Amino acid sequence: MDDLSDTATKLSTVAPPQARPQVSLLSLAIPFAKIGLTSFGGGLSAWVYREIVALRGWLSEDEFVGALTISQILPGPNIINLSMNIGYLMRGSVGGLVAILALLIPPILIALLMSAGLALVNEYVWLHQFMEGLAAAAMGLSASVGIRNVKNSFKSGLWPVALSGCVIIGVFFLQWPIVPVIFALAALGLLIARAKYRSGLKDQKPTAKKK
Amino acid sequence: MNDENIYLSLIKVFAPLSLISIGGGQSIVGDIHNQAVTVHHWLTQVQFIDAFAISRAAPGPGALLTTLIGWEVSGWKGAFVATMALFVPSSILTYLVIRIGHTKRNRPWYRWAQNGLAPVATGLILASSLIVLRATTGGLSTWLIAAVGAVFFTRFAKVHPIPILVLGGLIQIAVGYWL
Repeated sequence: MDDLSDTATKLSTVAPPQARPQVSLLSLAIPFAKIGLTSFGGGLSAWVYREIVALRGWLSEDEFVGALTISQILPGPNIINLSMNIGYLMRGSVGGLVAILALLIPPILIALLMSAGLALVNEYVWLHQFMEGLAAAAMGLSASVGIRNVKNSFKSGLWPVALSGCVIIGVFFLQWPIVPVIFALAALGLLIARAKYRSGLKDQKPTAKKK
Repeated sequence: MNDENIYLSLIKVFAPLSLISIGGGQSIVGDIHNQAVTVHHWLTQVQFIDAFAISRAAPGPGALLTTLIGWEVSGWKGAFVATMALFVPSSILTYLVIRIGHTKRNRPWYRWAQNGLAPVATGLILASSLIVLRATTGGLSTWLIAAVGAVFFTRFAKVHPIPILVLGGLIQIAVGYWL
């Protein structure tokens, strides 16, 4: 509770940072519509970085990394969370909404058109085979994100890999309902990570003062 | 079945998924498949794979899969309801966290919370790929395409995905033609 009121006072006393350029809602919408329309096959946060930080200089490097971390730690599509975060930083709550809508509406229309087009030529078997192969390759693409995460997580020990393994066993092999499995394992992950952090603090204490 | 029931069950399926999609929309594809094809019969297996392929081949977030499912279920209204059900709960949560936690991102708990949740998200991403593959009707060749794709994309992260995805589709046509 302390934290909450603390934050509230900070939020109210911190005026919009001077360094941040004033941007109209329309010019806020443009980069997000562009990202929504040009980003194929994932990796959208790289596009956001390019448009918002590199090209327009709306956010600093640090602000971008902070926004990205929040968007990854929370549920929901990362790109949506990230866009809302940036929109919010630029123009407050309305800005967050505008960023999401600009990001989503154009590709939604395209996907629906493609879907309607596919329904028209429904009788061609080879088309479904093509989509099936494309989907399989896309499964490989998204699995590669998971594989890279697993590779990286080895440096914090075996428990992250074991935890990921438990998710796969529970959800894929045993086919247990996803929601309770995830909440239980997320709680376990948080407990382990907190314990690791605390024991890390104890180990580091003698050297921490030097820094 | 009357319309209200359909919209209500779209919300019932997608809103909870919204809140567990830690690590991005990809992590819940397996469960979306399970609900849409096996439990509710909104789509056939073939329709689901088509919709999934479109959501990957079209620009924008892969989570548009949900929009397409809603569209199949009941047109524009279904597409709207399903999309909102998937995006709104997680977006509200994010919005609250941004508002409240804006000054907290350097706190230690923020880091360890991330460390603790990341492996769960990773496991979900991998399990999702496996679940959808298990459900495809394409046989062994789809597993091979996915496996080769996974190895390839892990090694060459910067390669533009679309040509490779199209290649996967062409291989599957060739397999269907010759085998």
